[in-house]
Amino acid sequence: MQLMVKYMLSITALSKQFGQHQILTKLHLEIAEGEVFGLLGPNGAGKTTLIRIIMGLIKPDGGDVLLFGKYRPGSIEARRLIGYMPQQHSVYPGLSVLENVLFFGRMYRMQDADLHQRAVDILQMVELEHRKNDLVANLSGGMIRRVMLATALVHRPRLLILDEPTAGVDPLLRIKFWDWFANMVESGTSIIVTTHNISEAERCRNVVFLRNGQKLEQGTPQELMSSYHADNLEAAFVEATRSRAGNENNGALS
Amino acid sequence: MSRWIAWRIIQEIGRDRRTLAFLLLVPFIVMTLIYVAIAEDETVKVGVVTRGAVRLFASQMIDAIAKEDNIAIVSLNIPDDEIDNKVIVKLIRQELNTRKADVILYMDENLLNERFDNKPGNIHLYIEGTHPTLTATALSAIADAMDDLAAAMPTVIHADCSAMCADSVNSLPMETKKHYLYGSEDYRLVDYFLPVFPPFFVFFFTFILSTISFQRERVNGTLERLMVAPVSFFQVIMGYVGGFFIFAGLQAAIILTYVLFLVSFSVNLMQVIDIAIITVLMMLVGLMLGLLASFVANNEFQAIQFIPLVILPQIFLSDMIWDIGSFPRFFQLLSYPLPLTHANTAMRNILLKGQPLWQSWPQLLTLAGFSIVILLGLMRIRQNKSF
Ligand SMILES: Nc1ncnc2c1ncn2[C@@H]1O[C@H](COP(=O)(O)OP(=O)(O)O)[C@@H](O)[C@H]1O
Ligand SMILES: [Mg+2]
Repeated sequence: MQLMVKYMLSITALSKQFGQHQILTKLHLEIAEGEVFGLLGPNGAGKTTLIRIIMGLIKPDGGDVLLFGKYRPGSIEARRLIGYMPQQHSVYPGLSVLENVLFFGRMYRMQDADLHQRAVDILQMVELEHRKNDLVANLSGGMIRRVMLATALVHRPRLLILDEPTAGVDPLLRIKFWDWFANMVESGTSIIVTTHNISEAERCRNVVFLRNGQKLEQGTPQELMSSYHADNLEAAFVEATRSRAGNENNGALS
Repeated sequence: MSRWIAWRIIQEIGRDRRTLAFLLLVPFIVMTLIYVAIAEDETVKVGVVTRGAVRLFASQMIDAIAKEDNIAIVSLNIPDDEIDNKVIVKLIRQELNTRKADVILYMDENLLNERFDNKPGNIHLYIEGTHPTLTATALSAIADAMDDLAAAMPTVIHADCSAMCADSVNSLPMETKKHYLYGSEDYRLVDYFLPVFPPFFVFFFTFILSTISFQRERVNGTLERLMVAPVSFFQVIMGYVGGFFIFAGLQAAIILTYVLFLVSFSVNLMQVIDIAIITVLMMLVGLMLGLLASFVANNEFQAIQFIPLVILPQIFLSDMIWDIGSFPRFFQLLSYPLPLTHANTAMRNILLKGQPLWQSWPQLLTLAGFSIVILLGLMRIRQNKSF
């Protein structure tokens, strides 16, 4: 069992601009280890930008990100410990399912014997074992999502970051995805997942509402639902958005 | 409806400034190159060395040669007071080697003596020999000039030494003796062209394939996943090198076998190894250029447009088909930054001149330099740019 740190991810005063557009504004966020954490917000909220900064793919304009209490984004240690499933299809269409999983495993220097066993286990988990020799180019969208998940966790990351993993996935498979997330947390992997489909995130331990690059609320789904007197998380999000807009208007008037 | 589809295409391409610029720039560049390549006839540089009393009628000979088409008489760096035959021949070879002249006509002291002795007399032709077209032009021009001169010659001798040799006019045609610095009379045009093809093809295909496959990796998002894995950018590039090596090697083997089968001269194992080394260097340059092209391109349109921009100038300006020496100075300067120019020089040094590989060290160094500079540039861009 790995030693728990207080915060697996601490973000302080993070800002990012693209040209004239302020995408993230002085964002503060702390995420504990050992849970499924939901990064929720509508399209364009800045979720992907935030994740790309955490992955070290883009540099922030200001602020700080610390992983596992000591590593910077993009450092070799952080890269080893994180698994990443981007928003777009990012597997090799010309390779088979198994070949894709093996390839990404090798990128993380996994030893062959271990890798082959792990690949079998993972493909079993995402229920793709029977298609393992099919080219990814011949798979459906939902299957490609599962291949992507498999390639992101083949190297047993301590933290798995999933950007809209369930986008375009049918409701039945979506439920399965969330079951798998729960199982993974149980076996010691922490998960950060983004989604614009807010109601599915009720299965997260903690969530944050993001809008226009700012934090609206943070807490457990139950806390947020009860504080906004909502019976589902989406309604809570809408309420949070409304009350924030109201506050801003009041501020502007006074 | 069609007109909306047309409008959509116009909007999309029109807004992509760089694609638009390529679209307009590439035809302009290509037309200029075609014009220069075709409009400028190849000019053969002919030098003349005379010693002794031969000078007296050599000037008429020179005038006659200079009158022929596509011949330029060049002055040589051989001191007039040098009379040692061995030294003169050595200097002549030097001048040919540095391409100061393509052909040098040497009329030595003996020529006139032989004429007086009623022998035909030898004119020595020193020929650089690697450029069959230039050699052919020069030889036919010189033959024509000598025909013209043959009629004039008895008079010449009569006028200049009337008392001494009036009764011994020698009307035998002079004989030319050809000395090839490289190759022989048997070199054909194909022998000149063929050696450039192995590195050319490998460069061309590696460039295209790497441009497109790297662009695809960027667009697919798989490159991003490599960058977040504990893999360095250098390792990614080395992976590309290894992958393309196989295909470039196969391709080179096919072209090379074919070339060896077609050329009229024999090629030994050492030369094949030398060719392989140059081909590998060109593969690396092609690969690096391909990666660079897909790196600076923002989309597939732009990436594809790089292909003619990189390939076409090299076909025209790399001494591949048209002799770069005949191009205007400006275009000659443009040929230096083109990798293929150096590969072609090295290939001809090895195959046509029969030189060992190390003598092409400036070319090898330049080609290696291209790859290293582009690689460093890529790593630099990578630091400042996300995918
Ligand atoms: N490379 C970029 N250049 C310019 N603007 C960008 C870039 N990436 C994202 N944006 C903008 O940033 C905002 C947030 O995008 P993103 O982080 O993808 O949102 P989300 O993932 O929450 O849907 C959007 O308005 C988007 O247009
Ligand atoms: Mg997104």
